[in-house]
Amino acid sequence: MRIKHQLTIFNALTRFLIILAIWLSLPILIEKVVYKRIDKTLLEKKEKFIEHLDKEEINDFLSRNDATETFASFSTLHNEFLQLYQAKEIPKNKNSYFKNEARIIEGEQSDYRVLYYDFVYENTNYKLEIGSSLSEIKDLTLAIRVFILIVLSIVIVFTFLVDAVFIEYLLKPFHQIINQKIRHVNEPEKFNYTVIKSHSTDFRELDEVLNQMMKRIQELFSIEKQFIANVSHELLSPIALLKNRFENLIQNESLDEEAVNKIVSSLKTLDLLKKIINNLLLISRIENNQYVSDERIDCRSVLEDIREELQDRIDEKEIDFSINLNEHYHFAGNKTLIHIMFYNVIANAVKFTEPKGTITITDVKTNSQYAITVQDNGCGMTQEQTAEIFNRFTRLNINKEGQGLGLAIVKSIADFHQIDVVVTAAPQKGSAFEFVFHIGKKV
Amino acid sequence: MNVLLVEDYQELAKEIVDFLTKSGYLCKWVSNRAQALEEIGVNDYDAMLLDLGLPDGDGFDILKDIRKKQSKTAVIVITARGELNDKIDGLQLGADDYLTKPFALTELGARLFAVIRRTHGITTNEIEIHNFKIQLQDYRVTFDDQIINLTKKEFDIFQYLVLNKNRVITRLQLTEHIWGDILELNSDSNFIDVHVRNLRKKLEKFAEIDWFETVRNVGYRINM
Repeated sequence: MRIKHQLTIFNALTRFLIILAIWLSLPILIEKVVYKRIDKTLLEKKEKFIEHLDKEEINDFLSRNDATETFASFSTLHNEFLQLYQAKEIPKNKNSYFKNEARIIEGEQSDYRVLYYDFVYENTNYKLEIGSSLSEIKDLTLAIRVFILIVLSIVIVFTFLVDAVFIEYLLKPFHQIINQKIRHVNEPEKFNYTVIKSHSTDFRELDEVLNQMMKRIQELFSIEKQFIANVSHELLSPIALLKNRFENLIQNESLDEEAVNKIVSSLKTLDLLKKIINNLLLISRIENNQYVSDERIDCRSVLEDIREELQDRIDEKEIDFSINLNEHYHFAGNKTLIHIMFYNVIANAVKFTEPKGTITITDVKTNSQYAITVQDNGCGMTQEQTAEIFNRFTRLNINKEGQGLGLAIVKSIADFHQIDVVVTAAPQKGSAFEFVFHIGKKV
Repeated sequence: MNVLLVEDYQELAKEIVDFLTKSGYLCKWVSNRAQALEEIGVNDYDAMLLDLGLPDGDGFDILKDIRKKQSKTAVIVITARGELNDKIDGLQLGADDYLTKPFALTELGARLFAVIRRTHGITTNEIEIHNFKIQLQDYRVTFDDQIINLTKKEFDIFQYLVLNKNRVITRLQLTEHIWGDILELNSDSNFIDVHVRNLRKKLEKFAEIDWFETVRNVGYRINM
């Protein structure tokens, strides 16, 4: 999940929880405030009533409903009442106290907040009850709750949207950094040092640090490149010098045969050394992306060229060598490298195929892939050998010469061109190297 | 014959490589000074075509370098400058010839052939060796006006041995100059022997060829 989604969801969730808490605690808060207010009014009424109280008035009150010796008065809408009656028992509680109660007044039931007050007047116990209706308040609370619910939902939706947009805006430099600087850049030379504009210090910092890092990588890369160039020049030049010297020495007629043989085998060693260095250099250059890969390559003509180059050896071993391609497949790549790739595999096939063996090159094309297979019926390989052949300096057959770099190069070149190499082989049944090109994939 | 082409203009380079390959040369192309220095440090070329204006430095350095080695490489300087001073500098430093852009490819071919011949001390297009006549440019070998049919590889081997007459040429040298810079390690050079054997058989039909010597374990030598 992306940060912007995570942040937006997190924000919305916390906001929702806060709002839920407010919404749930709201009635309690409202009630507390409202009850306090009601209680205060009721107390005031009581004070007023008590203040004006005298015998006459009590009697006046009581005499109106003589039967029960209770006095009651209601406001017209029944939202308030006042009741006074004589109590038999002596009041236990000298103070006023409040209670929520349901009362039926003139056949109508509703909830009231009632103040109870017991008092003694001229040796008579009285009980005073003053009530105030709660129904209006309940209606009001409900209205407030609905109103707040609507407002808060709007707030949640609105802030959610604003959050999403704002976070997207904030994170834009981040995506720019990733896309422009990191994702599509493979070669140090192609690093993009343009400063990504951002209003957040964090991203400016990230950008700056990335630029510094890329600069360091680029420096190291160019040092390595320089090193490779130096190695090639410094190691290979003496080899060339020795080679010339030995070649001139051989011309000397006074050398005996043993000396000549030693010189020739030294020349062979030098040649081997030169080729190992050249091969290692080739691998490191491929891996450092030092080759252009925009040449139009025709697989068929590359294979035909290789056949021509190897014709001598094919003839010598009387190998039945055939190229059966159905397609004319073209792709962009480095011609020299592709040539080397196929050459190494085919030359290997020639080397490991017994005299009068067969080597067949075929192709298959599907919508997304094109595959060329080089199949021989040589000595083949075991499963373990197949897994190892692409490692440098792996030699499968001790008796055959070679330094095990050829297939490492094949692998490097294939990787460079994003070609998959699939090897299928069984001992004594030959090996097949399949090169899979992904059609339409940019190299 | 292997030729090194040092030229930074890709289109022209491709054309030259194409032309020279068709003319039977092994042509290696590099596009800058560093690669050129590396190539001449490592490989022994029969000829070099050198463009003086390179992206990473002056082509004259390459010329100096190759002459320091006292190699037999024939050098033709190619340049767009066409100025007299350059020409004199180039020739003094050991260039064998000079071509000014633009030039016809056929002219390049003729000059290249001439300088290679000259570096081997041959002035004519035809070399005569023990009554065998080699027409260098036509890939033709004759004996008493009878044409001997040689394959391209057989002709190349014969020509290379004749040009380097009286020297033992190792199998490795032949591989390098005729098959080119094979990267393959320890590629067995037996196939050279096959070609030489066939070549000898074809020549022997016409005359004794004891001057065509096989130096055991080493290579071959043509004595004159």
